[in-house]
Amino acid sequence: MTAPPALRVVQAGFATTVQDRGRRGLTHLGVPTAGAVDRRTHDLMNRLVGNPPDAATIETMGALILEALRPLVIASSTDASRHTIAAGTRLRVDVPPGSVWAYLAVRGGIDVDPVLGSRSQDTLGGVGPAAIDVDSLVPVGPDPGTTLAVDHAPLRGSAEARVRVWDGPQHDWFIGGIQSLIRRPWRITSELSRVGVRLEAGEFDRSTRSQPQMQSIGLTPGAVQITPAGEPIVMLANHPTTGGYPVIAVVEPADLADVVQTRPGSLVQFRRA
Amino acid sequence: MQRRPYGPLAWLVDQVSAPAAWADTLRAMEVPGVEEIVPAESTVVVRCTSEHRDAVGQVLDLVVTADRPTATEPPLTIDVVYDGPDIGELASAAQVSIDDVVHLHATGTYEVAFCGFSPGFGYLRGIDRRLHVPRRATPRTSVPTGSIGVAAGYTCVYPSASPGGWYLIGHTTAVLWDAERNPPALLHPGRSVRFRRVAA
Repeated sequence: MTAPPALRVVQAGFATTVQDRGRRGLTHLGVPTAGAVDRRTHDLMNRLVGNPPDAATIETMGALILEALRPLVIASSTDASRHTIAAGTRLRVDVPPGSVWAYLAVRGGIDVDPVLGSRSQDTLGGVGPAAIDVDSLVPVGPDPGTTLAVDHAPLRGSAEARVRVWDGPQHDWFIGGIQSLIRRPWRITSELSRVGVRLEAGEFDRSTRSQPQMQSIGLTPGAVQITPAGEPIVMLANHPTTGGYPVIAVVEPADLADVVQTRPGSLVQFRRA
Repeated sequence: MQRRPYGPLAWLVDQVSAPAAWADTLRAMEVPGVEEIVPAESTVVVRCTSEHRDAVGQVLDLVVTADRPTATEPPLTIDVVYDGPDIGELASAAQVSIDDVVHLHATGTYEVAFCGFSPGFGYLRGIDRRLHVPRRATPRTSVPTGSIGVAAGYTCVYPSASPGGWYLIGHTTAVLWDAERNPPALLHPGRSVRFRRVAA
């Protein structure tokens, strides 16, 4: 049973969706896990308002404006602080400087009906709640009854993300393996979404040893695929369940949020985990 | 069978002769810490928690399964109207007649090798070798729900409208994916499938 609406969408902003920690146990049916693309910030905003980490938040690329329909306790990455707001308050969510994705947590959690065990809107497969649109009414769940501790949490951000990588299952298809990924910084292109981030093309010399024909394999968040044009693509939360490009490396899970939040045009420096 | 590291949260098991059956065997073992089991053409990816990763890896080395899945379900029959926009193009590419395409496709028995691409999308193996053709040079930006596709040694049914690069040879009204239904997907890895020709 869905809770009564607590927020009205005044302006939908960019790429705004409801997200939680994702849909589990269905990838063998082609259903992406989805969930928050930057789980670290999603978890942090939930913690600021006293929600459990699997409570749903609103994810956006900014310019989101909401109106509170009743008093609410909220935290967003705009200022990474907790606020108590009165009914009628207008709330704007933007990405902080140097980031890509912002989150809004509301005490009680965004309480749209779960689909197959998750409130996440799967932007690739279309599973989950309807898109957040102008005049959408957003329900919020009951107060979790937790004590509120921290009221502010600094968000990490840097001009050049330093990201640890592990050998991927096809690292030996390339001369030098993951060294060809580590030897220089990579610029993030504007081809980024919840599915993945494409980096600018580089030199990846295929090993001369005879390689088996690449077949589709299961993917995992942080898998770095190399396209035939030499463009690394880092898979993110909403990646397809399988993919057909060789996976040279896998981003250390604790560092994936740094890739996710690096803006197009900025650099990512990989190093061996 | 060969196990390769796939980052701190997964293993890739390579050279698996029957990945769907292997995945089912592992799933039935309910190994602690295993989160996702994803069979593909000749591999199974096992996603797990970081704290269980080493133990899960050792369990994977013990999974042995028959080369062929033991069919416990009767084959699923999907009714098809063979009126797809690419049926002529596929016939030309395969150097057979349009009637041959229909006959070869509708008389085969298929098995879901693995799922992927979109929710409920199954890669069906078992298509007659004469219909083994590469994907179309330019994918369509939108393929209607229920379209029957052929490419890359597989046939498929598009469970939802999506881009697609396969030759479209017909359509079905069968609902391959419905999140409200239990189970939501009509196909799962290892499922046996037949197609039956019906009039438009």
